[in-house]
Amino acid sequence: MRHLLSVSNILKRIVTAIGNVAAWSAVLLMAVILFDVVSRRFFSVGSSELQELEWHLHTVLFMFCLGLGYVRNAHVRIDMLWENLGPRTKCWIEIIGILTFMMPFCLVVIYYGGELTHRSFIKGEVSSSTTGLPYRWLIKSAIPIGMSVLLMAGVAVLLEKIHTLWTFAQGDDDGAGSGPDLAET
Amino acid sequence: MTFVAEYLPAIMFLTLALLLFTGFPVAFILGGISLVFGFIGHELDVFNLVEFYNITARIWGSVAEKPILVAIPMFIFMGTMLEKSGVATELLECLQVLLRRVPGGLAISVTVMGTVMAATTGIVGASVIMMSLLALPVMLDRGYDKRLATATIASSGTLGILIPPSIMLVILANMLAVSVGTLFIAALLPGLMLAGLYVLFILVLCWFKPELAPSIGSDEGPRGAVNLTVMVIKSFLPPVFLMFIVLGSIFLGWATPTEASGVGAFGAVLLAAMKGKLTWATMREVVAEFSMTNVMIFMIFLGATAFSYVFRSLGGDDMIESVFTALDIGPHGVIFIMLAVIFLLGFFFDWIEIILIVLPVFTPIVEGLDLAGHVSAEDLLPWFAIAVAVNLQTSYLTPPFGITLFYMKGIAPPGVRMGHIYAGIIPFVGLQLIGLALVVLFPQIAMWLPHLVYD
Amino acid sequence: DDKKVRLKVQSWFPTKVPHVGSQIKDIAASVRAVTGGSVSMQLFEPGALIPPAECFDSVSNGAVDACWGISGYYYGKNPALAVFSALPFGPRWPELLAYFFEGGGKQQYDEIYARNNIKGLICGGTVAEASGWFRNEIKSVEDFKGIKMRIFGLGGKVIEKLGGSAQLLAAGDIFPALELGTIDATEFAMPAVDLKLGFYQVAKHYYFPGWHQPATLYEVIFNMDKWKSMSKTQQAQIEATCGNNIGRAIAFGEANQFEAMKTLKAKGVTIHQWSPEILAAFKTAWEEVVVEESAKSPEFKQAYDTYTAFRKEYRLWADNGYIKE
Ligand code: NA
Ligand code: NA
Repeated sequence: MRHLLSVSNILKRIVTAIGNVAAWSAVLLMAVILFDVVSRRFFSVGSSELQELEWHLHTVLFMFCLGLGYVRNAHVRIDMLWENLGPRTKCWIEIIGILTFMMPFCLVVIYYGGELTHRSFIKGEVSSSTTGLPYRWLIKSAIPIGMSVLLMAGVAVLLEKIHTLWTFAQGDDDGAGSGPDLAET
Repeated sequence: MTFVAEYLPAIMFLTLALLLFTGFPVAFILGGISLVFGFIGHELDVFNLVEFYNITARIWGSVAEKPILVAIPMFIFMGTMLEKSGVATELLECLQVLLRRVPGGLAISVTVMGTVMAATTGIVGASVIMMSLLALPVMLDRGYDKRLATATIASSGTLGILIPPSIMLVILANMLAVSVGTLFIAALLPGLMLAGLYVLFILVLCWFKPELAPSIGSDEGPRGAVNLTVMVIKSFLPPVFLMFIVLGSIFLGWATPTEASGVGAFGAVLLAAMKGKLTWATMREVVAEFSMTNVMIFMIFLGATAFSYVFRSLGGDDMIESVFTALDIGPHGVIFIMLAVIFLLGFFFDWIEIILIVLPVFTPIVEGLDLAGHVSAEDLLPWFAIAVAVNLQTSYLTPPFGITLFYMKGIAPPGVRMGHIYAGIIPFVGLQLIGLALVVLFPQIAMWLPHLVYD
Repeated sequence: DDKKVRLKVQSWFPTKVPHVGSQIKDIAASVRAVTGGSVSMQLFEPGALIPPAECFDSVSNGAVDACWGISGYYYGKNPALAVFSALPFGPRWPELLAYFFEGGGKQQYDEIYARNNIKGLICGGTVAEASGWFRNEIKSVEDFKGIKMRIFGLGGKVIEKLGGSAQLLAAGDIFPALELGTIDATEFAMPAVDLKLGFYQVAKHYYFPGWHQPATLYEVIFNMDKWKSMSKTQQAQIEATCGNNIGRAIAFGEANQFEAMKTLKAKGVTIHQWSPEILAAFKTAWEEVVVEESAKSPEFKQAYDTYTAFRKEYRLWADNGYIKE
């Protein structure tokens, strides 16, 4: 069972690395907006490409952080009933939730996000605005890839919860503290 | 089984309401339910599995390829940076000293800040989150009641969608084929009126229950006029500078409201640098923290867009339409029922989805109404739009699915529970309803200003 | 009897907007009446099912049954599709219809869509758009240097050739941006629509003619499998409805602009005509854009060549057949 936890930790490390890098696109985004505003004001250069680059960066920013958000437990929960539940029940809710809601959702979006990207790729799709950016498939691919990272985070948390349940079954209540307890964050 | 198929959207609704309380992340519940009901719909022959493609198309087209949403990360970044550099805290501490004799002084300053900030952004997420980041820790430190603190921030933060600029008013104008300018100006007084109602409520509440909003002791804070003046200047200057560059860049025509958010984020970085707080470590901390708040919001968008799609595809719109057309009442009754339907939908849906469900059904009916004596034919649609807008602003606040409330929960320190947020918002929802009633009963509140400006 | 077909139709435009969006409501009502209810079109406002820009892919794979819009919006998927709605400096209605239905346009249009599992039907149209709303008067070609205009599509490239910049603002930002001078101009639609949406409140100079988008063909695109699943009768009923709607739409559009223009004048709007020099500059720039686009996409080139070849031949008739106004 220890293996579950180490696999979980490896996955978490990957998800964390991706999220940490992607988060910096916010700084780029800020720089692009500033450059667009200033250059339009003073030089009036065409800024369609910049304006499209802005939402490109923004898409990278949120899609690639989805997984890290789950690992860090940033996604909102309604805790009114939940906070009164025992740690075992919480574990079960998380496991069932991941298996029936989260993973299917990820898989469907990955599958059709793949189709979205593929369609764009074979058409050589460009911005519909004619003055925007080319290679639409690149940014479209952020959807299936970002969702895959989220799926990875789901697997990581799932393994961790299974491990926690197992330690409960061993009567080793201390083991429950080995991962971040979702209720406390 | 056709019975089940017919009521599938309603069952979907109920399932959401129940499962939200399992404590599993809201966004995943939304996404998961949409899949489960898509499959059930497929079994009952009312849903085509290839339609799941549209969920991705929506994620792409209405969340990713959506320039206006860029303002959300930028505002959150600005808020996180201001919090880390202490700029906001100093301002709020200074306000506490100045307003120590006013009941609920801090809550009132937060409401005023929210109202000013509403003029800098056209979307809700941006201002609510920034206000929560800045004001909530200070209010809680001061010993403010958790319910009052969160509700004040949530309600004044949502004014961003009512007070222009507002993406919601633009979409309403396009769908009703009325002037954006008229709606922008018409929304101004109702927005300010609501802010006034909040202030009034806070004053009265804190007058009778001062323990909800402890004011700063007379022994705290700087002594003497000189020290006080220094404090005021030191704490007011940076935020005033920031307000100036955000509002200034919009009103001088340098930046669109969306871009102004990026200008503001940069301004916050500058302020941190000027205070000597801009280290590599701070920057890393801000980026890491901000990205988690940001992703919390966008994950809800992803789940909600999936949920709305499947609900609509299973015939949810028709269901609501049939409920409505079954009623037979006079023109005032019609308006009342419409607003009630929008209010109820607000418990579960985002404003854009509500607009898309109800406006195509309501608009032709409203146009056919004769309300002469109450509101002129020319003013009918703009007035109705503003009533809808106030109502939709309320939908951000109504439990269980009040997006603003989720945002607050996502940001609030661990001690703040969803129960606090839900309990606190109820009186403010009451204020919203009073505001809505006033706009409906006295159309001049909305229509006086546009006539003054454009006639 | 035909089996009942229910089509979910995503519209590009709010159905309440006259001419541009309202046509699809007329079409849906006619289809229901003509088919005796065997075909019903359920209309969805922009974004209600999917963001309209996703229509091409979603109709292609059958995730959405049909969409109401114009083919030019799918420029990003295939640049040739820009030719079948309206091109800058395109013709008036009689010539446009002649080119599309008799001059080779329809064959290419059908081919491109069929390859993508789409059945396209030209089903309506709009009259010329206005050139746009400007904050300040434009007196010479020089005045375009540095102008910031919110303009979409190939017209945007023309503005850039004249030294201006095309801005792609978020929908919610256009109005405040024009009001506060973040942009200098925006194109929108024709007078009857622009009056309703209130652009006169923030810009007072209204320019004509709309060289960037003259007479425009509007279409309903269907998923090909869905289309084929309908009976021959149902298909013919829909086609007949579309044919009828084109005439009805042109009549409505042509008849409803002058009143709106009078109202706009009364509201203090100055109506301008582009000077011949400025129009010539637009045209020269447009010709450069065409050369660039043709070099990029053989399909665009093929479609554009068919279109220009027809227009050249047509001149002989046009110059002699009608009284010059
Ligand atoms: Na606003
Ligand atoms: Na709500």
